[in-house]
Amino acid sequence: MINVNGLYHAYEKGGPFAVKNAAFKVEKGEIFGFLGPSGAGKSTTQGILTGLLPLQKGEVTVAGCDMKKPKREIFNKIGVSFEQSNVYGKLTARENLNFYSKLFDVNTVDAGTLLKLVGLDHVADKKAGEFSKGMKHRLTFVRSMLNKPELWFLDEPTTGLDPAIASQIKDIIKEENNKGTTVFLTTHNMFVADELCDRVAFIIDGEIKLIDSPRNLKLKYGEKMVSVEHNEDGKLVKEQLSLIIKEDQDRLKTIISRGNIEIMHTKEATLEEIFIKVTGRGLK
Amino acid sequence: MKKILTIIGRDIKSGTRDWLIIYLSIAPILFALVIKGLMPGVESTTLNVVMQHDTPADISEYMESYFDVEYVSDLEAMNDRILRLDDVYGVVYDSNNEGFETIMQGNESADAHIALGLILDQYGLSEDTVLPVTVEFSDVGWEMSPLKLYGANIIILFTTVLGGMMILLNLVEEKMNNTLSAVNVSPITRTEFIIGKGSLGVLLALLGSIAVILILDFGSINYLMLLTSLLAISFISAIVGFGIGVVNDEPIAAIASMKVTFVPVLASIFGSMYLPEKWHFILFWSPFYWAYNSIRDILLKTAQWNQILLNSFIILVLTAILFFTLRKRIAHGLK
Ligand SMILES: Nc1ncnc2c1ncn2[C@@H]1O[C@H](COP(=O)(O)OP(=O)(O)O)[C@@H](O)[C@H]1O
Ligand SMILES: [Mg+2]
Repeated sequence: MINVNGLYHAYEKGGPFAVKNAAFKVEKGEIFGFLGPSGAGKSTTQGILTGLLPLQKGEVTVAGCDMKKPKREIFNKIGVSFEQSNVYGKLTARENLNFYSKLFDVNTVDAGTLLKLVGLDHVADKKAGEFSKGMKHRLTFVRSMLNKPELWFLDEPTTGLDPAIASQIKDIIKEENNKGTTVFLTTHNMFVADELCDRVAFIIDGEIKLIDSPRNLKLKYGEKMVSVEHNEDGKLVKEQLSLIIKEDQDRLKTIISRGNIEIMHTKEATLEEIFIKVTGRGLK
Repeated sequence: MKKILTIIGRDIKSGTRDWLIIYLSIAPILFALVIKGLMPGVESTTLNVVMQHDTPADISEYMESYFDVEYVSDLEAMNDRILRLDDVYGVVYDSNNEGFETIMQGNESADAHIALGLILDQYGLSEDTVLPVTVEFSDVGWEMSPLKLYGANIIILFTTVLGGMMILLNLVEEKMNNTLSAVNVSPITRTEFIIGKGSLGVLLALLGSIAVILILDFGSINYLMLLTSLLAISFISAIVGFGIGVVNDEPIAAIASMKVTFVPVLASIFGSMYLPEKWHFILFWSPFYWAYNSIRDILLKTAQWNQILLNSFIILVLTAILFFTLRKRIAHGLK
């Protein structure tokens, strides 16, 4: 669905690269995530992939279209949701969707259905200018579903939403993906990446450091840890021990031989911990 | 086409919820009504003639059928009357050689004088003789108050600028809401979008101007010529609207920038009105100068197609120059 090779982008001529030598492939039907802290170059990459930013250097094919010279028709096949919500404040939620519908050459989903999907049906006929940030974000999000896109770009789809709504949005993304939609999403939230993505790319300072599935990453980089709670001289002690480091192994053996263990479970590394390990930096 | 209408439809819907746009749309009508109010009875204004009380009745009757006639007691009173500011001609009937003598101040319009002479010459000729001039001709020469002629022309030129402002505000709305990026990832082409965004402003310029003409009752002017000239001149305001609109995300500031357009408009109008003909070349750069001349001739019904087309062509050339200067900026701003 997406093919990127040797992609560079600088906002100013001769200025620093916001994206450096990026290369990746997104297969049909998968959810591909860009995980990285703010300023890493995620939105810039999405901008190039969606034709909003010019392709300066590198090869980019999106849904079979060379993005050097994108054809307007490909926008019938793709949907784009933005990090910053952008809707007409003077139009109602429904009018916003109806207007946008008419820009497509393909059949579109009914505005009412979509508004209901994200819990905006009760304010469908209210001006979007009076909406809260979260509501505007949801409106921007469902607008990108109007044309039933084959390929769906989501820039920070859950950022700034309260947890209940964020989880609703995640469910919608999963469901659409189950129906066959390919998803490219960017996030700085490791839980979102972990929960949704078939594969993630770690990106920092415009460079992709690695690409793999969250599960593989955890297996490969996640240092096996064991968390033990045991009784020592009548006191409850809680310890985290590595299964790889020699000292920790010995300590664990000692604890087990004493037989005073109350709780013990293995603990896998989070994507953020792996991210830190790989890039030397956190996601904040 | 469907997408262009979608863009226009959205702008209309959004515009009806914006007092600034509503005001822009009705401003030409308001101005025209103000001008109309300032000249009560503009319809009945004909050439004013002053005669003496002792003028023979048949001559008085003849004169009253063409003119607004005032009577004074003697020549001295007549001179006083003529010397007042407005255009009044004195007509003295000389019963000895059955002729007329006209007295003028010298600041009257030339056309009116000729027409007066023609009508006076007619007196005494047989009833079936066809007059070389008709009363319709008189509509041009002397029924037109300067306030009406210049007023209408000024309002029309400003209306085209208001059309540009309408475009401006609709673009600023896109900038403010950051919605251009959403439009740019939809299948609408850049050209369709620009045509859609520009149409409403051009339409306002056309409809507003026609409303002004109808309100001020210019009668049977050549509307095709008017349309040609208006189209030519509204492009320039549209381009200025685009040029400013795409880099502004605050309506009041954008309007303030657009107001600089008033300078060439006013300079062109007043320059054309007050500068001697040989100095007019210093206004040739201004498209509004050419538009002003076209519209004046059209309203006076003296316009010729070749002149209108030439003026419109000059306007379009100037527009093209402006467009190529602003093209990069507009294309960049629409990203
Ligand atoms: N419009 C812009 N002009 C100049 N620099 C920009 C612009 N947008 C982003 N940048 C810079 O490019 C880099 C990548 O930004 P971005 O792609 O927005 O990161 P992310 O989406 O991962 O937070 C940052 O250093 C940011 O400051
Ligand atoms: Mg971003």
